[in-house]
Amino acid sequence: MNLTVNGVAHEVDSAPLSTLLHVLREELGITSPKAGCEQGGCGACTVLVDGEPRRSCLTAVGAIDGAEVTTVEGLGTPEALSPVQQAFTHHYAAQCGFCTSGMLVAAEAYVRGGGTDEPEAIQEALAGHVCRCTGYVKIIDAVAAFARGEEFDLSTTAASPGMTNLGGAQ
Amino acid sequence: MKAVGARLPRYDGIEHVTGRTQFVDDVRVPGMLWAKALRSPVHSAEIKGLDVSKAEAMPGVHAVITWKDVPLLEYGHLSALGIPADEPLLARDDVRYKGQPIALVAAEDEETAAAAADAIKLDLEERTPLFDIRKAFDADAPKIHQWGNWYPHFENEMDRRQIRKGSIEEAFDKADVIVQGVYRPAAIEHVPLETQVALVVPEANGRLTIYSCTQALYFSLGVVAAHLQVPLNKLKVVGGTVGGGFGGKVDTASETMSALAARKSGRPVKWRWTREEEFLCSSTRAPWHMEIADAVTKDGWILGRKMLTLHDSGAYARFSPYGLTKHSFHHTGAYTIPNLHFDGFVVFTNRVPTTAMRGFGVTSVSFATETHMSRIAHELGLDPYEVRLRNANRIGDTSPNRIVYTDPSTVAVVKALAGGMDVELGSEYASMTRDKREGDLLPEHLVGQLADPEDH
Repeated sequence: MNLTVNGVAHEVDSAPLSTLLHVLREELGITSPKAGCEQGGCGACTVLVDGEPRRSCLTAVGAIDGAEVTTVEGLGTPEALSPVQQAFTHHYAAQCGFCTSGMLVAAEAYVRGGGTDEPEAIQEALAGHVCRCTGYVKIIDAVAAFARGEEFDLSTTAASPGMTNLGGAQ
Repeated sequence: MKAVGARLPRYDGIEHVTGRTQFVDDVRVPGMLWAKALRSPVHSAEIKGLDVSKAEAMPGVHAVITWKDVPLLEYGHLSALGIPADEPLLARDDVRYKGQPIALVAAEDEETAAAAADAIKLDLEERTPLFDIRKAFDADAPKIHQWGNWYPHFENEMDRRQIRKGSIEEAFDKADVIVQGVYRPAAIEHVPLETQVALVVPEANGRLTIYSCTQALYFSLGVVAAHLQVPLNKLKVVGGTVGGGFGGKVDTASETMSALAARKSGRPVKWRWTREEEFLCSSTRAPWHMEIADAVTKDGWILGRKMLTLHDSGAYARFSPYGLTKHSFHHTGAYTIPNLHFDGFVVFTNRVPTTAMRGFGVTSVSFATETHMSRIAHELGLDPYEVRLRNANRIGDTSPNRIVYTDPSTVAVVKALAGGMDVELGSEYASMTRDKREGDLLPEHLVGQLADPEDH
């Protein structure tokens, strides 16, 4: 079986009934999709399969032979964040970070598919994603700003990778 | 105040949105084994037999640990504070809650580990379980704990957390009305998106490196070292990245058994709980039973409070004595009541042990006391904001455990709430401050109860 993950072609050795989550995490070492429940209930394992958000924990890899898979690693890099990553950073939409990967790719698919900044529509699009930290408000704000195509000055909200102090608060 | 209200960069913000944050489950080490637990299938039973030989002989299985592999079987999270231990790391003589760990298997993959755990022969003799804390005191209640059905080791070996202040008899004699209420908040599972997980790596120098999702790294360090009977410098705990905790990752849930399996197998071991295990077997916020009877005057002064609290600890004590102590200190809420009679019990049941969750011990009593304040207002036909302001903590008032309030915020908060709800307060309340009660503002029942904040 073959998969293209974030633009890189891979030959997959795992059995066809292995979950896509298992293949990504354990065979290919791509760890942004999380094993939150492995029952399709929490959304933390969501990735894009041919552009559509899919629960990687419920997707048998044999069923998507030849597909293009996108994870958060394929959206942007720390040096060049994609617009949805910038929006989540600016709005502090990631708290513990465990649900964030799934939220980001679902938001990416929503806006690519013509989604607007209407809160009810965003809630509908992200309804399958559980977050226990934020209370969702900041996530919805971030997706709305992303849908509007806003640009952000991240010089105060972002920090360079590896930064471990509180910026100007010392 | 440079930080308050400022937009500060999150030190982990970029890592989170680029998928680069390394949670415990994301750590990669060569040669790693997966662990699965054999857990009690019943709520209460005596263990008559435990045979792991078939599991140990299965291909791909590298270690099976039971109570026999634990150098110090019983160690409590509060042992360092002198609170005795009651819970074995792995069940030995009996199981007291459904999901209690009995054995841990480490194998080449999760499927093999699960199959080996299933192959362990377990002989149980079921007993009648106890679930209702109100029935724990009955003469014919099942005896479910070696200490009795409630915790007996508060200071001076008292079997309850007790507070006595002023004269409760006098307060009830003088009351116009007795207002009673019973409050019973339920158990709540924290549901962190990241389930309990540990990865333990045996190092060539004899140390164990423990990757932990704990909220309480030094608890984990101390608890693992005690069970393994090794000095602290033989353990390196790597923590700090928690995929949601909310109090549920204060207990050392997975590190110790993973460490034992890593030591026995000589291989790195990861134990990642399933969502089902997280719901069924991880500790929860406790259910509570609270009974309040207040001696109240017809104009809304609370002269005295009698309160009984039953704190459902589940099968073992863990942090519950500490949680109940905090609860007792807050049992008048944000209000001043001079005459108090409080009894609180940490009660054992055959439920999963309970633990901290967001305001450990205090959230429950806040729910009860705030509901009760509104009940008092309702029964007396008074405004609920005004009843709260009348009894609000003021400078110089004292808490149930005799802490003098020097910076109380009740008056400001209740006035802000009234404002936010467009409630017009009577002039006496609208002009109220938190200043020390004096002159006409000092009611008879608080005479002699006030302290001078300067003295503290």
